[in-house]
Amino acid sequence: MVRTLFIGMDGATFTVLDALTDGSGPEGVVMPFLKGLMEKGFRAKLRSTAHPLTPPAWVSLMTGRTPGHHGVYDFVRFEDRGDEVFFTLYDARDIRQETIWSIATRQQRRVVSLNFPMMAPPPPMSGSLIPGFVSWKHLRRNMTPDGLYERVRQIPGFNPKDLAWDFERESKIGEEMTPDELEAWIQHHLPREQQWFRIAETLMQEDQPDLFAIMFDGTDKIQHQAWHVLDPKLIPPQPGADYLRLRRLVLSYFRQLDRYIEQLVSMAGPTAQVFFASDHGFTGSTEVIRINRYLGEKGYLEWKAAGKTDAERRREDSNFAYVDWSKTTAFCPTPSSNGICIRVAQAPGEPGVPKSDYPAFRSKLIDDLKSLRCPETNEPIIRDVLLREDVFPGAAMGDAPDITLVLRDYGFVSVRNRAPVVQPRPTVLGTHHPDGIFIGAGHGIHNSRAGMMSIIDVAPVLLHSLGLPVPSNFEGEMPLGLLTEEEQRRNPVRLGAPTLQARPGRSAHEDDPAEEMSEKDREKILGQLRMLGYLED
Amino acid sequence: MTFEARTSLQGVARMTLGSDATTIERQARSDGMPANNPIEAAVVDVLRDMVSEWDLDREIDSQSKLVGDLKFESIDIIQLVVALEEKFQRRNLGFSELLMTDGRYVDDLSVNEIVAFLKRKL
Repeated sequence: MVRTLFIGMDGATFTVLDALTDGSGPEGVVMPFLKGLMEKGFRAKLRSTAHPLTPPAWVSLMTGRTPGHHGVYDFVRFEDRGDEVFFTLYDARDIRQETIWSIATRQQRRVVSLNFPMMAPPPPMSGSLIPGFVSWKHLRRNMTPDGLYERVRQIPGFNPKDLAWDFERESKIGEEMTPDELEAWIQHHLPREQQWFRIAETLMQEDQPDLFAIMFDGTDKIQHQAWHVLDPKLIPPQPGADYLRLRRLVLSYFRQLDRYIEQLVSMAGPTAQVFFASDHGFTGSTEVIRINRYLGEKGYLEWKAAGKTDAERRREDSNFAYVDWSKTTAFCPTPSSNGICIRVAQAPGEPGVPKSDYPAFRSKLIDDLKSLRCPETNEPIIRDVLLREDVFPGAAMGDAPDITLVLRDYGFVSVRNRAPVVQPRPTVLGTHHPDGIFIGAGHGIHNSRAGMMSIIDVAPVLLHSLGLPVPSNFEGEMPLGLLTEEEQRRNPVRLGAPTLQARPGRSAHEDDPAEEMSEKDREKILGQLRMLGYLED
Repeated sequence: MTFEARTSLQGVARMTLGSDATTIERQARSDGMPANNPIEAAVVDVLRDMVSEWDLDREIDSQSKLVGDLKFESIDIIQLVVALEEKFQRRNLGFSELLMTDGRYVDDLSVNEIVAFLKRKL
């Protein structure tokens, strides 16, 4: 019998879910089952990681740790070799902290985990795991345990190409699309979620895990490209035919998702606790900010000469910075990062800023970034400039961008060499907002709402729901008011041993030297738990 | 990226499980692979497993080209690097040296080139 059902919804936001469940939209209630759960259960906004992006945020949710500790900041990481920079992808081996899948399975809880990002190659665990964000070509090798692919291949209608991540298609996120392209984009995600649901249905029935976790990511993909038909504030007074057709299609996705949720909750049974969370929320981006172009104009970055070959032109149009590394001192590596990396010279004469000049260089760079203003209104373009020591403290802080930008519309930057630096978008595009969702329902869940939770609070909730202690080195906490008083008495929160190494075999120097929780920190957490009534004295 | 960050990144990537070419050679023998070139056998083994569901009608040998013969895309090359690092139980082998020359990503790679690189690194 499933004890804990966790449904991740990538990028889900109450801005959309409230409108689809409260009947305020023109179509009335679109997600009736979720409406019932929300009315009977617990809800809170869920504050994402400092930079609200899928890889760091889901990894924080799965490890209960912030990026400064788990070490994942973006889809892409890079190796700076001085005269050139090599880009590659983060993968599960880059996660420095143990995941809840591993924590639960080593304490004899059976786990099924489906479609969570950064889980390939699969981390050590004894449950069933199919990672997300993996191309169909590599899905079989990245499932665990051995033989799982052969099992899911027996499911009627199974199609790995429908199920898996299509890198070429997904790279179009953030680009303007014609109405036909948009329809095709949304149509693609309907069978994709169906594939994941069928696998979920099968594994829940056959494995009967203690923790069943699945992530649906069509929410994010559709909101990115079709935000203008989802945001209640953007509904036009006289909608055109294209708008209406697209909205019908988008809502059919959410209706389908509601049916999947209903079936999963029903299959989990009446004694299960059900939790929903998103890695970040959503909002509308109204402008393109070409941040590397701006850094070039300010003298921090030198572009490579215009490409002559097809390969060079493709590279220029890619989503990785394409600059003259010998003359560049600060750059944004990828649009998803919203980060500015300062290059520090390894030796005199090598590219980058001398180490002794770093503080002054960074100060001037911050001043220059803050001086970027809208040509029309003279308002600052950058809402906030985050320093890595402030937002990513921990043993993995050195891998974080030196500076993370929060744009005034929460948009992602562009790294391409095009003009102008600031350009309004013809259509509002969806972008990530820091505030996602958390919903709890089912046995022992209190009917209430909290103000704001943190994404690192979800891991303690899931482990506690499994009857497991909360590891003492977790950074999050159980939210106030989640559990009924009876449930608190029946299953009080217990603080347990710290998590183990992320991957057996890592050498000691790669592990976090600060992982051992100080007595002071331990007392602080114990105090918080007691105050919330969750901890036995 | 700063010097500190780069050092840290290399630190994260480094795996020290003690695997080496000799271990691979023993493994290759036990797997029935040709012992005269165990690294090549291991690379071919990884590639065969990787492309087994790709509907390719092509035998893999030392001359095979990833892009030209096996229809690799850039994401497949990244996956191959992961698979080889897992096979040899080593990270931070410096595959960037193989995949990038004079600031440009290489257009294609043969099995021979990968094997030669691994022989230098293992």
